[in-house]
Amino acid sequence: MKLFDIVIVGGGGAGLYAAMEAMKANPALNIAVLSKIYPNRSHTSAAQGGANAALANSAKDDTVEMHIFDTIKGSDYLADQDAVEVLCSEAPKIIRELENMGTPWSRLDDKTIAQRPFGGAGRPRCCYCADKTGHTILQTLYEQCLRKGVQFFNEYFALDLSLDGSRSKGIIAMNIKTGKVEAFPARTVIFATGGYAKMYWNRSSNAAGNTGDGQAIAYRAGIPLKDMEFVQFHPTGLRKSGLLVTEGARGEGGYLVNALGERFMSRYAPEKMELGPRDLVSRSLETEILEGRGFDSPAGKYLHLDLRHLGADLIKSRLPQIREMCMYFEGVDPIDEPIPVRPTAHYSMGGIDTDNFGRTVMEGVYAAGECGCVSVHGANRLGGNSLLDILVFGRIAGRAAAEEAGGFNPSPILDNEVADKDQEIRSFMRSKGHYERYGTLREELGQTLGMNVGIYRESSKIHRGIEEIAALKERFSHVRVFDTGDVYNTNLVQVLELRNMLDLAETVAAGALVREESRGSHTRTDYPTRDDINWHRHTTYTLMNGKPVLGFKPVSMGRYELQERTY
Amino acid sequence: MTDSSKQHIEEKRDVTFRVHRFNPQVDSKPYFDDYTIKLEKGITVLRALNYIKEHVDASLTFRAFCQAGICGSCAMRINNMSKLACTTQVWDELERTREPNVIRVEPLRNLPLIKDLVVEMDPLVGKMQQFSNWVDSKMPEEQWGRKEFLVSEEEFRKYDKATDCILCASCVSECTILRANRDYVSPAVLLKSYRMNVDSRDASHEQRLAGLVGDHGVWDCTHCYRCQETCVKHIPIMDAIHGIREDAIERRGVKDTSGARHAEAFMTDIGKKGKLVEATLPIRTNGVAWTLKNLLPMAFKMVIKRRTPPPPLLVKSTSGIEQFRAEFREMSGHVAKDHEKKSGE
Amino acid sequence: MKRYAYYQSCINESMTREVDRSIQLWQHDLGIEMVNLHESTCCGGSNLDYVSPKHFALVNARNIAAAEKLGMDLVVSCNTCLMTIRSAKKKLDESPELKAEVNDLLRKEGLEYRGTSEVRHLLWVLIDDVGLDAIRAKVKTPLSRLRIAPFYGCHILRPSTVLGRDNPLEPTSLDLLLEALGGRTIPYDHKNRCCGFHTLLVAEEESLNVAAEALKEAMDEKADCIVTPCPLCHTVLDGYQSKALKKNGLRGSIPVFHLSEVVGLALGYSDRQLGIRRHIVTA
Repeated sequence: MKLFDIVIVGGGGAGLYAAMEAMKANPALNIAVLSKIYPNRSHTSAAQGGANAALANSAKDDTVEMHIFDTIKGSDYLADQDAVEVLCSEAPKIIRELENMGTPWSRLDDKTIAQRPFGGAGRPRCCYCADKTGHTILQTLYEQCLRKGVQFFNEYFALDLSLDGSRSKGIIAMNIKTGKVEAFPARTVIFATGGYAKMYWNRSSNAAGNTGDGQAIAYRAGIPLKDMEFVQFHPTGLRKSGLLVTEGARGEGGYLVNALGERFMSRYAPEKMELGPRDLVSRSLETEILEGRGFDSPAGKYLHLDLRHLGADLIKSRLPQIREMCMYFEGVDPIDEPIPVRPTAHYSMGGIDTDNFGRTVMEGVYAAGECGCVSVHGANRLGGNSLLDILVFGRIAGRAAAEEAGGFNPSPILDNEVADKDQEIRSFMRSKGHYERYGTLREELGQTLGMNVGIYRESSKIHRGIEEIAALKERFSHVRVFDTGDVYNTNLVQVLELRNMLDLAETVAAGALVREESRGSHTRTDYPTRDDINWHRHTTYTLMNGKPVLGFKPVSMGRYELQERTY
Repeated sequence: MTDSSKQHIEEKRDVTFRVHRFNPQVDSKPYFDDYTIKLEKGITVLRALNYIKEHVDASLTFRAFCQAGICGSCAMRINNMSKLACTTQVWDELERTREPNVIRVEPLRNLPLIKDLVVEMDPLVGKMQQFSNWVDSKMPEEQWGRKEFLVSEEEFRKYDKATDCILCASCVSECTILRANRDYVSPAVLLKSYRMNVDSRDASHEQRLAGLVGDHGVWDCTHCYRCQETCVKHIPIMDAIHGIREDAIERRGVKDTSGARHAEAFMTDIGKKGKLVEATLPIRTNGVAWTLKNLLPMAFKMVIKRRTPPPPLLVKSTSGIEQFRAEFREMSGHVAKDHEKKSGE
Repeated sequence: MKRYAYYQSCINESMTREVDRSIQLWQHDLGIEMVNLHESTCCGGSNLDYVSPKHFALVNARNIAAAEKLGMDLVVSCNTCLMTIRSAKKKLDESPELKAEVNDLLRKEGLEYRGTSEVRHLLWVLIDDVGLDAIRAKVKTPLSRLRIAPFYGCHILRPSTVLGRDNPLEPTSLDLLLEALGGRTIPYDHKNRCCGFHTLLVAEEESLNVAAEALKEAMDEKADCIVTPCPLCHTVLDGYQSKALKKNGLRGSIPVFHLSEVVGLALGYSDRQLGIRRHIVTA
């Protein structure tokens, strides 16, 4: 294949924005977007709430400064303050830009973009389009990329970077529709593959494909990952699918009830009850389950979110989507039955370590969005900042790559590299020594992560988790791809995704073990407080000799001094 | 409160999934495999398929991604109806099976088959490109990001529902005309085109409309409403198709295409006689040459069976026609006034 | 004797005159009477709505108002007229302004649209008012030898927001009636699909493909005949049958009956009386 100036891996919000911005910066560039799905299917579409930007449409006194402070505080002071400044000061501009290109937004009476209040924000700053903001942003970006004639390679699964010493020559990927392994020689590569929270499998609200492919590829190429231990949990995921029952259900007066019939939140937040902060409610549910007051089912232990006392009329008029979701995905009508819930992993703060331009330590390789870690979310992401992150840093990475693309001519990707890769993935199809089923391994990975590296973490449990992950990796070497065909082999794709998750799970567990404090989403029962003296710093993990090697990076500070995080 | 502490005890049943299989590398034609598994209530068809793939037959191939009804990947035909596997409860499907406890699962129609339940989506993307399914902003790119277009909530509502579309292609699969001709624009693309056309920020309205009234375009829709009834997001797709047709007549005139001429004939006939003059409808829609070529061969039989519609002079006006005509004309006055008001704004 | 205002569809006054003729034959046997609304006009289909939504509302408000004047429900035996008039009714009922504007004009001929008369298909009247048991009791020559492919047509089912009598994708009403007449109905894919009528003049090839596919499936399923409650479907499936089949390289033929004709047959009337000999495909 012809040399590309930029190959973008991933077609969600970050990848598409990068592609669009790069084409805008230099229309002569040869740009490709590789995506393992059709880009309009990306997980960006699942973000319902909206994107924060201090447009000051709803609250005239809102400022970028306030947005910066809210974000830093929300991050439990682990975010880099210069990066947060970029995020928040670019926010109004990028939301307006999205508007200008045709994104639908809900509107205020004065015809400007509507904004609503969101958790952890001092002003109503979250720009939204009904309850489908991520979906409409993704559709618009995809449409605009089609308008600009971006070259899409849909249903291509990225396998690995092709390296020339310490420099990338491009990417090797499998065409899922044909099974053919192909080389994409490229001057620059941008990873925008989304998060890795699906490693918690059915204890995750994420799409099946949020398996951290970009992070795993970068990691295998020696690029460091950062802050991997920070995974955000949402208190009320559906028991079977992990899908979120949004806070609205509790906002309207839903009860959380344990197997003894108690409204257990009275133990943890007697004033606010079910409406306590998200992390506190998550921890409360987890405690109930751990102390044996949960319900049992083949899909695991769970609790009840009971809406029945609200009555059919209120449920139908105010919570129609939640009701529909429970009926569709759980087969439960909340008018007649309580909803089975448990905490669910839904966002990964960590990712590929980048600077404020999306650059990694490897020249020519970039990362953006949930895939990267700048870091703007630190130890805990604020609602409404995830969409913003992918937009702002997708665009920045696209521009940076476009500017750099001219400066380097990589040597070609050799045929034997491609052939070796082909051999490597096909080896799973051999029957000799291969007998493990990927579904079992995947389920067990989610289970051990949920139990041992979940909401509550503690030294001995994390050790157990690390051992179990190692054992799963060993078993993975015997995994069998039963489908031996070339065309659309999802058996193979899912095995490769599992490999990526296993690689990353190691770094999550390693980070959880080493960080001996509680900060943001990371809660250590054996170190229950934040420890700024020893742990006000980022962790990094670099693959050396098959093991993650730990490193540290200072947090960029600025105007805001460390404070206790209270609301 | 008391019974919320009760455990879920779920009924289990043996369910057979009769799944369409086809691997182009080995199969000369598609066939069906039966998978019988024990399932509890509350399981979706997608979870059942996942279970089969993980535990019974890893080669079973289908698309799935978000598993939450928003990405549109897992549209397939379940018991003969196109829908998302992830939002479909097995228990609900068991109530509508032709054979007890057997759920048929097949790929979408009207798109090329790749394998098992996976079809090629590129033709749909190609049509989105062909019909400029994007907002072509009135604002030059260099100026983006400085200030918002002002859009009322009322205008937003014009395209709000249309932007719910997740391109799952269920409507494509159920479309009558696509089944007859795959070049047809497709319901989803008409919906998206409409959404762009009613957006005041868009500058390509006229061009897009010109494409839409062309061959295999908006006038080929046969009004069967299957798209709308199938839509997993309950979008009134036919309203969008109607909207494009109305818009086409308003902006391009009633003489523009055979579809528009056909529509105009109704207006004319009703205004004159209150009744449709069917005998000359083909000529007025498509001209004399077309009519002779296409309908003359059938005319003979029709005459013999006395099935020919009466010639225009013999079409009896509806009774009370004078008064009706007066009302009809007066309404034309109202409409003209509406137009004046609209263009004055 | 329950009386109804009967809407005279254009096509039933020209090409498919056998429909109204057969209804008149048997209506009293079933204790109903259709009162022809001579002052009704063409409903305009969706076509009139494209050209002028207001004329569309006027014309159909007038059609319904004429029935209201008689204090009767409006009964329709063409699917598309049914859907069209019902959708106009929906618009009128949802918009007081439109209703007022239209009534201003109608008042001049002493009519007023109030929204009190229902707009119903003949099939619905037979099932819901006459009743399946009553019909069963009147059957003289059951259709028991026939394997019938029921062909609902679209506009008696969809859009469900306007029609709402049957499940729009899995209807049962016609099957139930045919079974009450002693017939055996077959399950087949096309029973709720489209005949292609509405694109006959703008995309003939597509229309004929659509029709051919429906005919082929009915023949493949070894149906003896097709029965439809819609004269437009009948026109395509009967009138264009040989053209559609030939164009798609198919052989054979299958008779297509109007709903009103099979009711007549079961009640003991002859094919000559019912006008069945007017069909293009010999039954």
